Amino acid sequence: MKPDLETTSVPAWAAATSQPDADLSGRAWTVVGFGDDAEPIVSAWRTQILGHNAHAAVVVHRVDDDEAAAQAVDADLAGALVGWRLMIAGPADACLRLRAHALRIGVGDDEIVVGSTAVGTRDVLCAHCQARTRAEVGIEDVLPCAGCGRNLLVYYHVSRLKGAYLGFMVDAELVGAP
Amino acid sequence: MTTLELTVRAVDDGFPGIRTLTLARPDGGMLPSFTPGSHLVIECGSSANAYSLTSDSVAPREYVVSVLECPDGSGGSRWIHHELAVGDSVVARPPRSAFSPILRARRHLLVAAGIGITPMVSHLRSAHRWGREVRLLYLHREGRGVYIDEIKAMTDYMQTFTERRTFLHELSSALADQPFGTHLYVCGPAGFMDDTVALAAGLGWPPSRIHLERFGIDALDPGEPFEVTLTDSGDTFVVDSGVSLLEALHARGHDIPNLCRQGVCGECRIPVAGGEILHRDLFLTDADKAAGDTMMSCVSRACGDRLELAL
Repeated sequence: MKPDLETTSVPAWAAATSQPDADLSGRAWTVVGFGDDAEPIVSAWRTQILGHNAHAAVVVHRVDDDEAAAQAVDADLAGALVGWRLMIAGPADACLRLRAHALRIGVGDDEIVVGSTAVGTRDVLCAHCQARTRAEVGIEDVLPCAGCGRNLLVYYHVSRLKGAYLGFMVDAELVGAP
Repeated sequence: MTTLELTVRAVDDGFPGIRTLTLARPDGGMLPSFTPGSHLVIECGSSANAYSLTSDSVAPREYVVSVLECPDGSGGSRWIHHELAVGDSVVARPPRSAFSPILRARRHLLVAAGIGITPMVSHLRSAHRWGREVRLLYLHREGRGVYIDEIKAMTDYMQTFTERRTFLHELSSALADQPFGTHLYVCGPAGFMDDTVALAAGLGWPPSRIHLERFGIDALDPGEPFEVTLTDSGDTFVVDSGVSLLEALHARGHDIPNLCRQGVCGECRIPVAGGEILHRDLFLTDADKAAGDTMMSCVSRACGDRLELAL
């Protein structure tokens, strides 16, 4: 039985795609879009922010991987003042990883907005060998760990700082299991 | 609840209207350490008042508090100013805190007005000890700049103001120009705090970076009378205008824990089973208030003519 995801650490945008409004309470914005699918969200946000303040400081980064995204955030944050906001659009797994990066360097939850374009792919961290397995997998599904081969149940828990779901051995107590 | 029996070791009336007390155990023994920004709740005759601790927070043998006399308050500060003398005993609850420094902050911006400087003093002591980056803006009336000398010894980054206009100007520039990662701490009269928070929010400060230490609510209106029914006993009674729900419950023999009686401390929270609540406290979150199933009985009342309490 799955609990109400609202009561778990799984963000709503990681369970279903979402296109939230831009956070207009800030003073400067970094917008990161992963891939072409993020473009509609990115441009909607840009329009909303500039409609709110035509001279707003909005920097848009269109990226294809985690490293470019993290570099863009780090570069913008280096000179940022309080009032800065991070807006991330893309597949939920990439968004979770970039959010984790941002949280680790001190960005607050109320300074991050995420819009997700797809939610099918999940990063699963093995509780036994710490390996990260990325796959098309649902919560409560079972997948083999890329590190140790154990059958991992994808649990409804996301590590905020690792940006991945918790996976643990589903058949650990099965007598006679290999 | 544990209480501390303390002796008044020294009284300093060096600033008009402000009395500074040095308190210690009768045997001079060690007192509980406390988190910077903590306050001590002192029993002052009929009321219990919270005062920020300004002394060293680590393994202290003395607690120091500075008390502004509030002629229209509940009487606690008048009692401290006019009744208390060196050698007297006072009863206090151990230090409590809802205003601690955020240790991950890149910088701490402290903004204080008047006696609101007091919780900042222990913040500054701790920042000085641990080498944390701080900035302080301190607005006070001419001749009432309590703690300025101590603060000068702890930081080079204090700006003091005696004029509200200059202060607001500098505050706006400061709020507009803090490196990302800064946290803001505010203490002072309610109107001052509201203005500072509004200014910060207007400049893009998110709630998670703003921390407030409130003295209490400015005088609340006496409110409309309302009827109360208790679910368990079926007992029904009326809370008159000018009487708090907490007082009415006490009068009927219900022992509700309480402390500050001004909507700050969170002790007198009671469950509500029905009726619309007029929330007037500073303790519950917006989500708590919206849920409508709990209230602070010292200051909050019914929105309509009746409430049903799960008591």
